[in-house]
Amino acid sequence: MTQHDPALLSAALAGAEQALNQAILLAPHSHQELDAVSGTLFGIEVTTLDLTVYIEMVTGTDVRLMAHCERETDAFVRGTLEDFAALATSNDPAATLINSGIELEGSSASLITLQQVVARIEIDWEAPLVDILGDVAGHQIAEGLRRFFRWGEGARASLKRQVSEYLLEEGRLTPPKPELEHFYDAVQSVAMRVDRAQNQVEKLLAKAAARGTSQ
Amino acid sequence: MNDEATSNADRDDTTDFGYTRVDPEAKAGMVRGVFDSVASRYDLMNDLMSGGVHRLWKRFTIELSAARPGQTILDIAGGTGDLAARFSRLVGPEGKVILADINAAMLEVGRDRLIDKGATGNIEVVQADAQALPFKDNSVDCITIAFGLRNVTDKALALRSMLRVLRPGGRLLVLEFSKPTSALLGKVYDQYSFQILPAMGRLIAQDADSYRYLAESIRKHPDQETLLGMMEDAGFGECRYHNMTGGVVALHQGFKP
Repeated sequence: MTQHDPALLSAALAGAEQALNQAILLAPHSHQELDAVSGTLFGIEVTTLDLTVYIEMVTGTDVRLMAHCERETDAFVRGTLEDFAALATSNDPAATLINSGIELEGSSASLITLQQVVARIEIDWEAPLVDILGDVAGHQIAEGLRRFFRWGEGARASLKRQVSEYLLEEGRLTPPKPELEHFYDAVQSVAMRVDRAQNQVEKLLAKAAARGTSQ
Repeated sequence: MNDEATSNADRDDTTDFGYTRVDPEAKAGMVRGVFDSVASRYDLMNDLMSGGVHRLWKRFTIELSAARPGQTILDIAGGTGDLAARFSRLVGPEGKVILADINAAMLEVGRDRLIDKGATGNIEVVQADAQALPFKDNSVDCITIAFGLRNVTDKALALRSMLRVLRPGGRLLVLEFSKPTSALLGKVYDQYSFQILPAMGRLIAQDADSYRYLAESIRKHPDQETLLGMMEDAGFGECRYHNMTGGVVALHQGFKP
């Protein structure tokens, strides 16, 4: 009777929940911050997939993902897959949230708190590795992982910059941001002038009509 | 097939035990024999037989229960206690979970597992027959029965007993094997049930007959719509079901008006 097979969705959510809780467990600094939103229930509806997922912050170290929930949510966001993808990859999530087609119901404060905590989560790989492999090997592998992630971050930023430069400078496929902003300003200025001119024409026509009737 | 089975039962006063017709008085004892035999390896076999998917079916059952702190949950045929352990966390110290099963061997395994998991304090373990539940009227917020109803001799009687125990507004969740929605999946499932399942039972639990009974009892169990009708006949309202894994399993839900 449901459109999605609940078992498939449960599998996806169980995997994501386990990964999320494991990540939180390895980020001890975030526990206290997540405690601040414990007991909060968030709902996310992806309209293009006809999919709703609920996120319950049970405690600072326990997040529960559900496909079905009958409790009232503290915050509920609804949007298309493209909207959420844009939000996830945006450099300015607040601006993207305002300008996108995402609808928000309930408390935005708890949602922003959660977004900030998630953005600040720093996973400490060293503790579990040291537990399993011992101090020396665990520390070396954790250092390697840290270097790899730093390199990944750098590579991602560099790739983004280079793609942007290629599109602007080499391919000349997109206009530079200041040029585009100047163009928008000019369009807006023309639109305002046209509005003013239209108002003046309407006033003159009204005056002419008044004179015609008085004679 | 189910109508035929019912009419057979009416005619000769026998009931199904897998594909065999037996005296209703004898069925409970025979089912007990099956579960006595598989109790110690029940969870391992469930994992092997379903590829771990039974955990996902149960996960969705727990979500649909909407269990809240302070509630009383009755898990009938709760066997090895995997649902009860999750419910214990959800209802908290002010709530209560009753793990009930007709089979003492399964309950013993379940009780030991719960103690090992630290799930104690708000769990009661009760040996009970689903057809005559030994609980007060209107005393339970939610009843779950996972892969147990097909082993009950008189399902209608059991459903009426559950309705009596539920509080008004309380819900019943029946998780049970059902009829695959696709003919192709049905054929694959038949091959699996009657060829691979007993072989796995022989290999892991040294008991092919018990696992053959499990496969046969699944085929004799009412399909989705028949069970829905039985729940409505028993007096449940707002009845509906969710097919899972292509209808191999269905989760039926009904509320006490």
